[in-house]
Amino acid sequence: MDHAQFRLVIPSQTRYLNLVTGLAKRASLVAGLDDATAAKVSIAVDEAVTNVILHAYHGEGEHSVELELRFTEEALEIHIWHSGQGIRGDQLVLPDPKEYIKHPRKGGLGLLLMSRFMDEVQFKADETSGRNECCLIKKIS
Amino acid sequence: MADLSIAVRQAGDVAVLLPAGFINAHTVREFEEALEGLVQDGRYTILLNCKELNYISSAGLGAIMGLIETVREHGGDILLSNLQDNVFAIFDTLGFTQLYRVFSDEDQALAAAAPGQKG
Repeated sequence: MDHAQFRLVIPSQTRYLNLVTGLAKRASLVAGLDDATAAKVSIAVDEAVTNVILHAYHGEGEHSVELELRFTEEALEIHIWHSGQGIRGDQLVLPDPKEYIKHPRKGGLGLLLMSRFMDEVQFKADETSGRNECCLIKKIS
Repeated sequence: MADLSIAVRQAGDVAVLLPAGFINAHTVREFEEALEGLVQDGRYTILLNCKELNYISSAGLGAIMGLIETVREHGGDILLSNLQDNVFAIFDTLGFTQLYRVFSDEDQALAAAAPGQKG
């Protein structure tokens, strides 16, 4: 497959989540991933974009979230950029599922799902542009 | 088609909730309100029949997690049935199949929820 990429920009509103996750699922299938893996990629993208809307932008709907899909021979990469609050290192602690089961509570599961369903999850800050990026990578075996 | 619709019916002592569509950060409040409404009505044994649930994100899981202790404190439970593969994968990946009783169909779940069958 030739390397290819394309971009989508959405308003920072949860009403567009379904559109984005549907796209992520279809892109996964185009990349050669199977149905079950495509569903997992779509969940990871949902969680990443939801984090941007609710936490980076604090639920404010007038901002933009930019997604770029990159198809390579080795992987599907989904890059998500925003200009909101970046994620801090101390927020990247993944909850322990066993502790969750012992002490059920709301919140904190999105990062765990992203890390379990993708091969790589990276958070980056571009100091020049002031933008933050979440990069999700799924290898094509 | 709406992203999410929710039907509720009563089967003996069990409130059966049937979410259809997608539970994500956009639709979760509707799902949460349906669950909270049951608890406020004193219906503490709840079966989520997920046969028409295409998708659930952590927002939806959080809504369930937020009520599990309350219903169990009142002698009830939240049971799950008819999970589609991708929905099961989410629960299973996070180890939640140890926290919730999961059944392949509604009849099995209702039988397990009958008095004296709690385990």
